[in-house]
Amino acid sequence: MTAPLPASLGGDFSRRGFLLAGVAAAVAGVSGCAYGGDATPKADSTPVVPKIDGDLVYFNWAEYVHPKVFRGFEEEYGVKIIESNYDSMEGMQAKLAAGNRYDIIFPSALWVKKLADANQLHTIDPTTVQNAPAIFDHYDYFADPWYDPKSSHSIPFTMYKTGIAWRKDKLGDELTGSWEDLWNEDSRGKTFLLDDRDEVLGMASLMLGLPLNTAAEGDLDAIVEKLTTLRPYLRGFSSDDYNNLLAGDAWMHQTWSGDMAALLWQAKDPSIYGFQTPSEGAPVNSDAYAIPANAEHPGTALLFIDYMLRPENVKKNLNWIGYPMPVHGTEDAYETLVADYPECRVSIEDLEADLYFDGGSIDDLHARDAAYTEIKVG
Amino acid sequence: MTSTLTSEVTGARKPRRERLWTWLLVPGTLWMSIFFVSALVLLVALSFGTTDELGNPQFGSTLDNISAIFSGPYLRVILRSFLYATLASLICLLLAYPVAYVIARYGGRYKNALIALLVVPFFANYLVRMYGWQTILSDEGWLLTWLRDLGVPASFQILDTAGAVIGGLVYGYVVFMVLPLYASLERMDVSLIEAGRDLYGSALQTFLHVTVPATRAGAYAGLALVFLPAMGDFISAQLLGGPDNLMIGNLIQDKFFAGQNWPLGAALTMVLMFLLLLCMSGYLRQTARDAKEARR
Repeated sequence: MTAPLPASLGGDFSRRGFLLAGVAAAVAGVSGCAYGGDATPKADSTPVVPKIDGDLVYFNWAEYVHPKVFRGFEEEYGVKIIESNYDSMEGMQAKLAAGNRYDIIFPSALWVKKLADANQLHTIDPTTVQNAPAIFDHYDYFADPWYDPKSSHSIPFTMYKTGIAWRKDKLGDELTGSWEDLWNEDSRGKTFLLDDRDEVLGMASLMLGLPLNTAAEGDLDAIVEKLTTLRPYLRGFSSDDYNNLLAGDAWMHQTWSGDMAALLWQAKDPSIYGFQTPSEGAPVNSDAYAIPANAEHPGTALLFIDYMLRPENVKKNLNWIGYPMPVHGTEDAYETLVADYPECRVSIEDLEADLYFDGGSIDDLHARDAAYTEIKVG
Repeated sequence: MTSTLTSEVTGARKPRRERLWTWLLVPGTLWMSIFFVSALVLLVALSFGTTDELGNPQFGSTLDNISAIFSGPYLRVILRSFLYATLASLICLLLAYPVAYVIARYGGRYKNALIALLVVPFFANYLVRMYGWQTILSDEGWLLTWLRDLGVPASFQILDTAGAVIGGLVYGYVVFMVLPLYASLERMDVSLIEAGRDLYGSALQTFLHVTVPATRAGAYAGLALVFLPAMGDFISAQLLGGPDNLMIGNLIQDKFFAGQNWPLGAALTMVLMFLLLLCMSGYLRQTARDAKEARR
C-alpha cells in the first residue's frame, strides 16, 4: 500500500491550514508597505567633496569606458572599480528604486531631470572639479541646460542625435532628406524603426508639425494614423540598429548618430552606408555623469568624474564609443574620427534646436506608451 | 482514492516517524510561500496599482489596468501568442515522438548517452542560442547566401517571419517534449506491442491502438511543458520576429521596462495566468480521466 501521506498531514496541522498560513504570512508581508518602500534617502544640498572614500561602485551601459581608462584610475587612486551594467534607463531606475547603491551613474538628460526633481541626486559644485572649465567655459549650453539648472547635479558626458541610415548600394547615393524617406518603396520589408517610444512618436510629430513631446489625445491619434501607413514597409522595431545594418537585414534604419559612427568604422566597406539628419528636425540627446543620493562613496565618484574629463581620457573614450563629448581640447580628436562621415557630427547648434524628449508627466508617458503599443502591434 | 485513505487513518494517533516526515515539509512550504506565493500576491495586488512620477509602482485599487487590457490591442496579441504556442507544441510533438521512440526502443545501452546528447545543447543559454539563429538566418548570412546560390529568389527571407518565431519556440522547448515522451515510452511494456502483433494488428494499427494510448500521458505532459513557457516567451519574437509577430511576452516586457507601467504589466500577466489556468484545468481533467480509465 502507498504511504498514507494525506492522513499524516491531519492532526498537528492540516494541509489547508498550512497553505492558508503561508498565504497569510505572504499577505502580511506585503500589506502595509508601499511597493519597494522608501528605502532611497533624499539628497541634502551640500555639494560632494572630492576625496577618496572607498572603492567605486560604477553603473553604466556595458563597454562605455575604455578599459585602459578604468585601469588608470584604479592604479592612480589605489581603489577598485566594481562595475555593473544596465540595458535601459528604465532598468537603471528600477535598480535604484529597489534600493541598490551605486556611486556613479550615466543618466540621459531626461533622467537627470527626473532623478534631480525627485531629489535622488547629490549636488555637484563644478568649482570642485578641476577639469570642469573645459566644459563650462567653452560650452555655454551646458552651463544651464534645460534638464538640470546650472548643471548642479550632473556633468555632461556625451551628445547624440537621431537620423536615418541607409544602404547606398541598394537605395542610391542620395535620399530626399526628409523623414518621408522611410516610406521608400525600394526598401519595403527592409526598413526598421528604433524600438524606442519617444524616437518613433517624435519622428512622426516632427513630420506632422506637432510638439515633439505631445501627449494630447488628438495628436496621438494623428501620429498612430500616420505611422500605421508606415507599417507595411517595416521589417521591425529594433534598437540594434548597428547589427541590423551590418547583417544586411536593414536597408533603411532610424539610427542614433553614435551607432552610425561606430558602424562606419566597423564595416568592411563603409562607402555603402549613408546617414542623414532629416530636414523636419532631428531629436537630440545627451548623457551625463551623476552621483545617486544613496551613494556610499560620493567622494571617489566625483574624483572619477574629474579623472574622466582629462582630455587624454576623453579622447580614449570617444574613440571607444563613437560619441562626441563636450570637452574643450578634444574636438580635434572627434573631427579626425568622423572626418569621412561629417553627417554623424553632433554640434552645439544641433543641441540648441531644443528637440529633446522631456518625458512629461507620468500620465503623459503612459498615454504615449499606449499609442506606441498600438503602433507596434498594428 | 486518497480520500478513502484519509478516512481510514484520521483520528488514529500517528507514529512519531510519520510526524518527522510531516515536519520535513516545513522548509519547502516556507520557501514556496515566501518566494512563490508572496510574489504571486504582489503581482495580483500590483495589477490594481498605479505609479509615481518616476514610474515606480504603487499599490492602489484602480481597475484601469484591467480595463485597458480589454480596450487595447492586447487581446489580439494574446490570441496570436496562443496560436504560436499551440503550433509550436504540436510541431514539437511531431518532431519529438519519433526521436523518443527510436531512443527508447532501439537505443539499447546507448539510451542514456543519447538522451544526454539531446540535453547538452541546452546547457548553453537560450538567449545566446537565439542570437546564433539570428546570425545564421539573416538576409546576408551564410544560409540565405547559400540558398540564393541554389536559385532561391532574392526576396525570400526567413528572419522576421511567423515561421522563424514558431521555429525558435520549437527549437527552444523541444527537449521538454522529448523527455516525458521518452520516459513514458521507456516505461511501456514491450510485450504489449508483441501482443498487438500476435492479435494480427498491423504495425500501424498496433502503434495507434497500443503504443499511442500507452504514451498519451507523456504526450500531454510534454504538450503542457512546451506550451506554458512558449506562451510567455518573448525572446523568439524579439530576435526572430517582425512587427506582425509580437507575442504577449514582448508587450509585458515593454510595460515593465520602457513603458514604466508595472501595474499594467502585472495586470497583463494576471490575465495571461488566468487563461493558462483555464487551459491547465482542462489538461488536469483530461489526465485524471485517463488515469481513471487506466485503472478500470
